[in-house]
Formats: sequence, structure tokens, C-alpha cells
Amino acid sequence: MNDKVLVIDDERPTLKMFTLLLSAYGYEVLTAENGREGVETFQREAPELVLTDIKMPVMDGIEALKAIKKLNPATEVIVITGHGDMDLAIQALNLDATDFINKPLKREALEKALTRARERMTIARNAEWQVVLEEKNRAAVIGVRGNVSAMTMPRLTEAFEQAVAMNKEAVLIEFEKNASINGAGITGLTGLLSDNAGSGTRIFLAGLSSNFRSVFETLGITRYAELFDQETADLTGG
Amino acid sequence: MTFKERMAARFTRIGLREKLLFSMLAAVLFISVAIALVSRWILVSSLTNELEMRGFAIAHSVAERGGSYILDNDIPKLLVLIFDEARLRQRKDLVAYIFIEDQSGNILAHTLTHKLPDNLRANTLPPGRPDAIKLMELGNQEVYDLAAAINEGLYRIGTVHVGLNKRHIDTLVGKLRVAFLGFISAVVIITVILSSWLSKYITKPVSDLTRLSDEISRGNFDIPLKLGSGEDWDSAECPAFSNTDLPCWHFDQSRSGQTPAETHRKCADCAFYRKHQGDEVVQLGDSFRNMVWSIKLYRRRLRESEEKYRSLFDSGPDPIFVVDCASGTIRDANPRTTELYGYPREDLLGMPFLDLGPEHNPACLDFFTEGGGGCVYYPKRLHYKNGGEPFFVNMHACPISYRGKQAIIIAVTDITELIEKDAQLIQAAKMKSLGEMSAGVAHEINQPLNAIKVGSEFLSMMREEDLEIPKEHFEEVVNEISTQVDRAAEIIDTLRSFGRKSDLMEESVDLNQPVRAVLSMVRRQFELDNIRFELRLAEGLSPVRAHSNRLQQVIFNLVTNARDAINDVSHADGGGDRRIIIRTGNDESKVFIEVEDTGGGIDEKDQQKIFEPFFTTKEAGQGMGLGLAITYGIIKDYGGEIRIDSTKGQGTVFRMEFPAATAQGESKA
Repeated sequence: MNDKVLVIDDERPTLKMFTLLLSAYGYEVLTAENGREGVETFQREAPELVLTDIKMPVMDGIEALKAIKKLNPATEVIVITGHGDMDLAIQALNLDATDFINKPLKREALEKALTRARERMTIARNAEWQVVLEEKNRAAVIGVRGNVSAMTMPRLTEAFEQAVAMNKEAVLIEFEKNASINGAGITGLTGLLSDNAGSGTRIFLAGLSSNFRSVFETLGITRYAELFDQETADLTGG
Repeated sequence: MTFKERMAARFTRIGLREKLLFSMLAAVLFISVAIALVSRWILVSSLTNELEMRGFAIAHSVAERGGSYILDNDIPKLLVLIFDEARLRQRKDLVAYIFIEDQSGNILAHTLTHKLPDNLRANTLPPGRPDAIKLMELGNQEVYDLAAAINEGLYRIGTVHVGLNKRHIDTLVGKLRVAFLGFISAVVIITVILSSWLSKYITKPVSDLTRLSDEISRGNFDIPLKLGSGEDWDSAECPAFSNTDLPCWHFDQSRSGQTPAETHRKCADCAFYRKHQGDEVVQLGDSFRNMVWSIKLYRRRLRESEEKYRSLFDSGPDPIFVVDCASGTIRDANPRTTELYGYPREDLLGMPFLDLGPEHNPACLDFFTEGGGGCVYYPKRLHYKNGGEPFFVNMHACPISYRGKQAIIIAVTDITELIEKDAQLIQAAKMKSLGEMSAGVAHEINQPLNAIKVGSEFLSMMREEDLEIPKEHFEEVVNEISTQVDRAAEIIDTLRSFGRKSDLMEESVDLNQPVRAVLSMVRRQFELDNIRFELRLAEGLSPVRAHSNRLQQVIFNLVTNARDAINDVSHADGGGDRRIIIRTGNDESKVFIEVEDTGGGIDEKDQQKIFEPFFTTKEAGQGMGLGLAITYGIIKDYGGEIRIDSTKGQGTVFRMEFPAATAQGESKA
């Protein structure tokens, strides 16, 4: 596989290291030192995957994200944020960034993000999105794949209402590993969950990548739903 | 020592009274004795003469009348004659005998009841002389034998001898003498009485005055001053005695140039200042009494004033030194100095004042030794306690005369607490700045960490995957990691030194260094904000005595203000001229830093107030308005100045000038 990846970062040493690392993963690496250069390179090379730092002089990552999404909304843009800079991450998600990685960068996180991005790209080629409702013993399970965005929301709302109507102990929304939620998706989900608050049905969110878990915690969605780790067998099983 | 000198010495030692007495006595005695001697000589001799004359007169009258009887040889008549003459009235006391002898020495007649002793005939009358006198013995008494010739015509026919009773004469003379002696004694006694009264009259006041003066010299004013006038004071009656602010116009020559104002009370009749009618002694007594009163009054005032100032000196809250001008040693020091400096008082006295503050005190002493007048004030001088602990003081020095020598009185205020608070304030401001920087700094540190992380992840991945790492890639990664670690460490060092509390002592600072340090922390943050720095730093700047991290605080304040000013007029994404220009350079004996921005400038009216604390042009809650106030304080501490050159809409230049450090390291404005 020889995918092009564009890395935008104002730090030349970081760019150098990224080039080495991503080349080792088998990507063809393009680099740019600021947002404007990045957008120019994007126009020229049209890579499917963009990694961008947010804080940059001349044109920052957020601006570059906007410009790139304008040029090609389907582009997978992963933003690199300073550790704990959740506001910027959420801002980027609202602008349809598909994922974010914290600095200093962990290989594991990078690999996961790259994997998820590839999977999403694959899903995106096949179908835009998928929401599946399953009835289990004690819970209703909603499976979510791909991107949760404004387009996905009506289907998710429908599935959620059906799940609540089942009158089970709990509703479990299970995100696939590659699932990504953008700003509109987060807003919609928050609306659903808060409307349901007080109805007595417990809601569980499962399968969220650690990135999104921290986003949900930051935004306070965890007040309406409980977060579950990967496998929630006790509820879903049997 | 001759006798004369001894006498003179003895004379000076005896009292005035004795002198008066003795001299008067001596004078009186001398005069009396002289009079007595003269008059005795005159009287006694004239008396004796008179008696002799009488004797001769008797002799001559016998000779006159007896001549014929002798010629007639009528002895009975002759006898009757001489008896008559001898027994006439009081002559019998005087005349012891009369006898007549003829030319041939035969006794013709005599009045004695016994035989005429032969020795009476020894008084022979030489021829040619009418009479002669000779002292004779008659039995057991002395007689003057007077011989007178009996002449008949030209011829001598016999001699009359009259014996004058010497005892009778002596008795008369004795009476005279007794009378004289009595008179002289009376005069002497009267003189003694008079002179002793006089001397007592003169000397008693004098010796009283002496006694009083002695008492007063010993400081005892509580003695009755009964000097003749017989009245004493009650000092409570004098308003000026108990009220030190009230001048005593009756005595106060020191205020002779003034007249009592309406506000001053003035006693119409002074209860104490009096002059009686009387002689010199009374006058003297009055004058003395007034003098004592005046002394008493002013001594009391002096003591009060002395006590007041002494208590000020001793119990004043601030340490006070009296420093000798010539030697620079401490002559006197109040108790607070020992508390503050920790030296015992005996160590302080005589200690060179320079020892307390070697860096800053010479300037003070030089000021006075070079003839500076008036008082000088030295803020924020560094002094050392016993044991070398430094602390800050404000010094206030004035020239005084101390025990007849030129001296300086130096009052010291311990401002350690103030400086401490100042340092805390600056420290707090720095902490605030650190907080403001933190985002940028975190970003700044994250960058190298990120590069390191990515590089190391690359290496570990290659190892896990068992892939061959090309040599140049490996080198590249390793070098990069090392470089980035240094970069991060440098940022941390800069932060540390910025956050550290400054020492008391200033260090030599190259002004470029704080500029670079601040930029290393904030540059990226500003650039992310699309603000570019233009540095025009001159090399080879003279060093400045200051604290590097406080200067960093100053520069940080100025550049953040510059950023805010730029953000007020243009937007980060909107382009526009967004630059901060920093210049440094030498300017004669000054070193300057300029921070220029391309912001909106400062209003003319605000330029005056901009350095005041709590003055801010920012929205409420955006700024405390302390940044520039602290900046100003820091610059002033180093003897620097800060000026604004700003035109509304044209940007602003802050220019700071600092004195270049001199050889002695003394930086004074």
C-alpha cells in the first residue's frame, strides 16, 4: 500500500521524525511547515490522509482543516493537539476532523488513529454509515460504525427511540473501533441522552476509543450515560 | 618664697571680714598711736616744761625777793620767804624743798625738816648761766633740782635751789597718759564694733552668695534664697516656669530680636524679677536672685529639652548613629542600633561606619567630607548585620556638631519588610507572568518532546519489526533527540531563573540576555498570534547593575502590552502590520532598551497615568493595571528611567535607559 499522507507541523525536527516513522509504516510522506503551505500541498498532491498540528504561525491547523474540508470533505484529517488541549480538539471535531492525537505522540495512538482512518476510508467507500439495532437479553444494543455526523443523526435517533421503547434495563450504544463522531454527531447524541435522562433506562456507551471517551467526559455526556470498556459481556451476553 | 610673698598669700587667704577689720584696726591704731605719741610728746614735754617753768618762776621770784635779805643777811626773813613760796597753795605737792646757798656754797636757808643731804648740792650753777636743772635723789624719791642765780646788780650773791617732786610730775603725766590710753581704747573699740558691723553688712551677703552659688553649681536649686529681701519664690507662680513654650520676656535675651506676640502671655509684673531700692549690697542681692531665677528657669528648660531629645534619640523607633566626619567612626548610637545590627553597643562605638555597609556608605561620607551641606537621603542602601546578614535601609543623614567636632547624624530605617513586600510583589507579578506564559511555554516544551517522542517511537518500532535502520537515519534521529533534549532543558532553565527570587545584591547584566530569555519563552506564542519580533540588539553592551530576572519581568510586561496593543488594532488572521521591534544599545554612559510596537498607540492623557498602579485601559477583569507600575518600580530600583514615545495610531516606543555599571559597581541615579 502506498498511501500519501500529508503532515503539517511548524517544527522541522518533528517533521523529520514523522517522515522517518510514517515512511517506516509504508506511507509516502508529504510535509508542510504551516497551514498555508499545507493547503497548497494538499491542492497539489490531494492526499487522502492529513495529519496537522493546530498551533502554527501564518495559518493554524484549524484554518487549514477548514480549507482542506472545503476542498475535499471526505479527507481524513487527524489533528495533533497539545496534551489536555481538549477545547481545540473539540473545536476541530466540530469542523469535521475525524480524529485527534495528543502530543507528545504515542506510537500506539498514532497506529490506532491511522488504522481507524483507513477503516473509515474503506467504509466510506462502501457505505456512508451504518447503525444497527439488536435486542439482547437485558439490553437493547445499537451498533455504530463509521462516522457519526449530521447525516447519521436521524437514523441514530430512530434506533435510539426504538431501543428505549423495548423497555429493557439498559440501552447500550456500541461504537465500532473505527467509529468517529464529529461535532454535529456529539450535539445530537447529547440531545438524545439528555432527553432520555430521568426515564429510568440506563444508557451505556461502549467501544469508544480513549480519545472520544475523554471528549465525552469533557463535555459532560457521562452525566446521562455510563461509559463502558470494550467488552460489556455481562449486559450483552446471554 | 620671700616673706613678702608669704604675707601676701596669707593676706589673700583670710576673709574679707577679717581684712576689713584688720585694716580698719590697723589704720585706727596707727592713727591713734601716732596721735598719742605726738600729743604725749607735746603734752608731756609741755607739762614738764610748764612745771619746770613754775619751778624756775618760784626760784627766780625767791632770787628776786631774797637778794636783799641775803645782802642784809636777814636769814629769818629769807626762811619765811622760801616757806611761803614752797607752801603756797598747791605748790606744796610740787615743791619738795627750797634752799638758798651763798656764793661760797653755804646753805643760808632751807625748807626741809631734816638736815639737807649733801648730794643736793651737786647741782652747781656754772657762772654766766642764770639757771640749771638736774635730777637728784632725795631720800628715796627723785627730784628735779632747779638752780637759779641770785644777782645783785651785776654780781651773783647766791643760788636758789628748788626741788620739784618728780613723782608729782610723773603722776600728772600718768594721769594724762591714762586719759590718752582710755581715749584710744575707746576709739579702737568703737572702730572694731563699727568695722565688724560694716564688714558683716558687706561680707554676709557676699558669703551667702558664695554659699548659694556653690549650692547652685552643684545643681541644687531647691534652696531658699533669702537674700536680705527675705522673700522666696514659689516657682508654680511663674507661668513660664512650667510652660516651656512660653518665653520669659523678662530674662529672655535670646529673643531680644522679637517682641512678644499677642499669642504669648506676658506677665505685666514679673513675680520674680525685682529691683529693690537700696544700696549696692541690696542691688547685688537682687541681681543675684534674678540671675539664679533665670538660671533655674533655663536650666529646667534645657533639661526638659535635653530629656525630650535624649528620649527621642534613645527610644526612637529607628536606629540613629552619630558618625564622626573626619574619621568616619561611630561616636554614638541609640539602643535600636544594637537591636537591628546585632552588635553590642561598645562594639559599635568607634566602629567605622563603612563596616556596616561597605558598598553604599562611602558615598554618604564622601558627600559630607567634600563639603556637602544640608541633609541627604539615600534610599535602599544595603547594610549588614553582625554576622554578615544583608538587609536594606533608607538612610537620612544631616550634618551636626557633636562635642565640638564635625559629625553626621544618620537615621536609618529598616525597610527590609518593605523590600520583602516589594520582592513578593515582583515575585507575584512574575508568577502571574509565568501563568500567562504557561500555555506558550507548555507548547514550547511540547515541541521538542514531540520530536523526541516521534524519533524514539521510530527507533523502537524499527527494533520491534526487526527492520534494518539505515545508518544515516539512525544518526539523524539520535542527533535530533539530543538537540531537542538540550532545547527543552534550556527552556526549563530559563523558566527556573525567571521564577527564582532575586538576591539582594544586584549582578552585572548584559541587557541582551533578558531580552533573549524572554523571547525564548514567548516568541512562539507570539508568532502563533502572528506577531513577529524584530530584534536589533547591539553587541558589546556595557553591563548594567540589575537583576536579570526582574528585567525579564519588565521586558515580558512590555512585550505582552505590545501584543495587546497590536491585537487592539488588527486581528491575527487579518494581516496588517503586526511587529514588535526590540532595540538595545549604548548611549554615552547609559545603556538602553527600546520596545516598539505597531499597535494603536497611547492617548496623550493616559501617558501620564500609565505607570500608576491599578491604572488600566483594559476591560474590567482583563488587567490589574499593576504591570507597568511594577515595571516602573523595578527600573527605578536600578537607577534607570523609562519614557514613552507614542502617537495615537502610530504605535508606541517604550525606551528604558540604565546607567552603565561603573568600576566600583556603584550605580546611582
